[in-house]
Amino acid sequence: MATLVKDKPRTGCINPIFNCQPCGAQFAAIGIRDTIALVHGGQGCCTFVRLMFAQHFKENFDIASSSLHEDAAVFGGTKRVIDGVKNLVLRYPDLKLIPIITTCSTETIGDDIEACIVELDAWLKENHPSRGIRVIPIHTPSYKGSQAMGYNAAMEQIVRALAKRGEPSKKVNVFTGWVNPGDVTELKHLFSEMGIPANILMDTETFASGIMPDKSSFAYGDTTVSDLANTANAFASVAPCAYEGGLAAKYLESEFRVPSMVGVTPIGIENTDKFLRQLSDLTGRRIPRSLVEERARAIDSIVDLGHMFLAGKRVAIYGDPDLVIGLADYCIELGMEPVLLLMGDDLKGYKKDTRIAELGKKAVGFEMEVILNADLWELERRLRDGMKLDLILGHSKGRFIAIDYQVPMVRVGFPVFDRAGMWKNPIFGYHGAEWLAEAIANEFFAHMEFKKDREWILNVW
Amino acid sequence: MPMALLEADVKIPERKKHVYIKQPGEDTKQYLPASNITTIPGSLSERGCSYCGAKLVIGGVLKDTIQIIHGPVGCSYNTWHTKRYPSDADNFQIKYAWSTDMKESNVVFGGEARLKKSMLEAFAAFPDKRRMMVYTTCATALIGDDIKAVAKEVQDELGDVDIFCVECPGFAGVSQSKGHHVFNIDWVNQKVGTVEPDITSDFTINIIGDYNIQGDAYVLQRYMDEIGVQVIAHFTGNGTYDACRSMHRAKLSITNCARSAGYIANELQKQYGIPRMDVDTWGFDYVKESLRKIGAFFNIEDRVEALIEREVAVHGPRLDGFKAGLAGKKVAIWTGGPRLWHWTKALEDDLGMEVVAMASKFGHQEDFEKVIARGRVGTVYIDDGNELEFFEVIDMVKPDVIFTGPRVGELVKKVHIPYINGHAYHNGPYMGFEGAVNMARDMSNAIHSNLFKLAKRDISKGGF
Repeated sequence: MATLVKDKPRTGCINPIFNCQPCGAQFAAIGIRDTIALVHGGQGCCTFVRLMFAQHFKENFDIASSSLHEDAAVFGGTKRVIDGVKNLVLRYPDLKLIPIITTCSTETIGDDIEACIVELDAWLKENHPSRGIRVIPIHTPSYKGSQAMGYNAAMEQIVRALAKRGEPSKKVNVFTGWVNPGDVTELKHLFSEMGIPANILMDTETFASGIMPDKSSFAYGDTTVSDLANTANAFASVAPCAYEGGLAAKYLESEFRVPSMVGVTPIGIENTDKFLRQLSDLTGRRIPRSLVEERARAIDSIVDLGHMFLAGKRVAIYGDPDLVIGLADYCIELGMEPVLLLMGDDLKGYKKDTRIAELGKKAVGFEMEVILNADLWELERRLRDGMKLDLILGHSKGRFIAIDYQVPMVRVGFPVFDRAGMWKNPIFGYHGAEWLAEAIANEFFAHMEFKKDREWILNVW
Repeated sequence: MPMALLEADVKIPERKKHVYIKQPGEDTKQYLPASNITTIPGSLSERGCSYCGAKLVIGGVLKDTIQIIHGPVGCSYNTWHTKRYPSDADNFQIKYAWSTDMKESNVVFGGEARLKKSMLEAFAAFPDKRRMMVYTTCATALIGDDIKAVAKEVQDELGDVDIFCVECPGFAGVSQSKGHHVFNIDWVNQKVGTVEPDITSDFTINIIGDYNIQGDAYVLQRYMDEIGVQVIAHFTGNGTYDACRSMHRAKLSITNCARSAGYIANELQKQYGIPRMDVDTWGFDYVKESLRKIGAFFNIEDRVEALIEREVAVHGPRLDGFKAGLAGKKVAIWTGGPRLWHWTKALEDDLGMEVVAMASKFGHQEDFEKVIARGRVGTVYIDDGNELEFFEVIDMVKPDVIFTGPRVGELVKKVHIPYINGHAYHNGPYMGFEGAVNMARDMSNAIHSNLFKLAKRDISKGGF
């Protein structure tokens, strides 16, 4: 049946799917070791984003603000950037990188960040020559795109500022996209099984930190400035999320001739197969038996659920664009019907994305609506007007829709603040496919019991 | 030296005037931390912006009002799902966030048309909601969109709606405090006096500066119902837009959070002659005191005494049950401002605890006067504290529990100190007699948690 791709029929936004661009830049920055970004704007631009990260990960991440006040808004805020960076340098002895992230206010007043950096570089050279600190610009005006585009833009600008030609390396750059640490672990696992050395950008696995007996452990990002410099010398770049990391991979391709593989998102069995085949083509490494077995175990688990519990279920999906496309594909693979996909920003590229057209061809027996520039009201008003849904896949910002309309919901993406520890689980890879199918089934089971709807089926299955 | 330059601040020595350690015999005429002044950039300050002070703290609490944020999407997104203020109107106020989602072309050509369309769409989507607040943000203030003119157009066009404009972009002022101020003053000048309430009692009050965190306002409402006092308006916990327009008809304003809402209490006194009475609605003994003040004002002491007697009989023994486990335990309070002076003496007098460090994000001089008057000698008092200072202060005063926000809570957890949500509570309400018990219970559970004892054990060293 037909796929309908259309724009949200309203101008304003009711219950946004995304935060604005600077949030994405801040997420990129916390993935880098010995880094504190300085957000140049009002204090809320950084304080609330830090709160959101803390809500999702149950960890603290350090991000600074230039604390733009009224005088700076009128006369320009570059002095606050200069002072802010100096204060960070003076008080945090291990710092190696300070990205300056712009916002709507400071882009509107037109503060010259590049000139600030020239001044700061001279100051650093004179006063702290041995520290080797880099200060780099990240322009993310909040009135463009979304947090996803901000992440994409930030990754590109970070690589642009730091990538440096040197000895060729055997490593493959892996621009993970805005994914959870569980997915980073899974990507590392796939690369390791394939025998391909990976340069993970950004390595967020270390976001999981413990309460150590000696109080020494804190959450941090583990990608280093030298990892970023070395992206220029990689054997290839892989960006599983086209809209989050794709720009950086393309930049390296055009500037340093690092071949890139962009946009094969390993969500579901078929997509993971494709991802591995492309890695194999790219590197000449064969897919090992261990992955054949891992894949077989995943399919074995999913088969127990697929045609009995999942088939024919109607699903709405929202969140990061590659996640939404990947999940929709996987739903179809499971025999489910992704009837509503909400793309939460106005990126022009969606209309040309062949993956969305492909989904349309696979959507047999049901109609799939794809709403561009969508908000969560597009989901809620459909439910209010009688749309039948069996499942919502999305982040916690849609929680009250699931609660009020009693639709089972599995939390995926960012932010998830109303379920514990979800960021530790992968969506990517065969492990991710297996976990996700089981999470969906378990959500259905809990719902059946809560509603006393054929809960007795679960006596034997 | 009572003003202290912490080790963490050696490179930003201007912080010295913000950190005070109280010495015997001193009072606030001699020493007072500087406050409500420019934030030091890059200091890892905890402050929010002025816009959030208006929207997230005050306006957004109202249970019947559409809150539309004119600016890029983040300002709306960020002030959504970050508060625990329920209502009896199906939690409308925490479920929805509206934004004009402005784009680059609006920055260049202006965003007024976009605002108008967004406002009309919002009213159309929620046909039973006829009240709206519109907020400017950094971007829309800089380009100079005239939101008042747009609001007037929409009001004229729809007829049955009322709209309040809040012009307080994030960069105004030095913290969220400026947003409180702008909201208070504009509300009293533009909206108070435009609705007449039904008066059902001789005793009428406004409850000002309570935001129904985890149901605080329900507790206060119950007390007022029981002593026969009619609450004209809650400003703004579980409150309505129109009730807040009718605040001019109360005979008394009781003010809890004097920092965020003292301004409107003052204006009501000045413009309408309604006396302002400052109360503490947190703390077991403070609540008694505050209820007695209200009783004395209306001459209904016996009703108040009956209420107190019954509540104390129910909750007194419960509170006593926690005293032994909490006496002598050290507390730090790192919150916005007024909770420092509301809580410090209450924790000490009610429970025998020691409040050893306090930090305020946006308190003013009068807040520090109050807290230093009520606080202990030897305690550290900090304005606009930052992360490195917090770690240093932890080493200095070694608190057993810290009242702070969830992010800082995640940080102090790593150094083996439990936190309790000092903004939104762990398991509230914390106001009233039952609230004091809830607070004591939460502290007790935190301080005596087995998990922190286990966290200290290094299994590689044996001996366990």
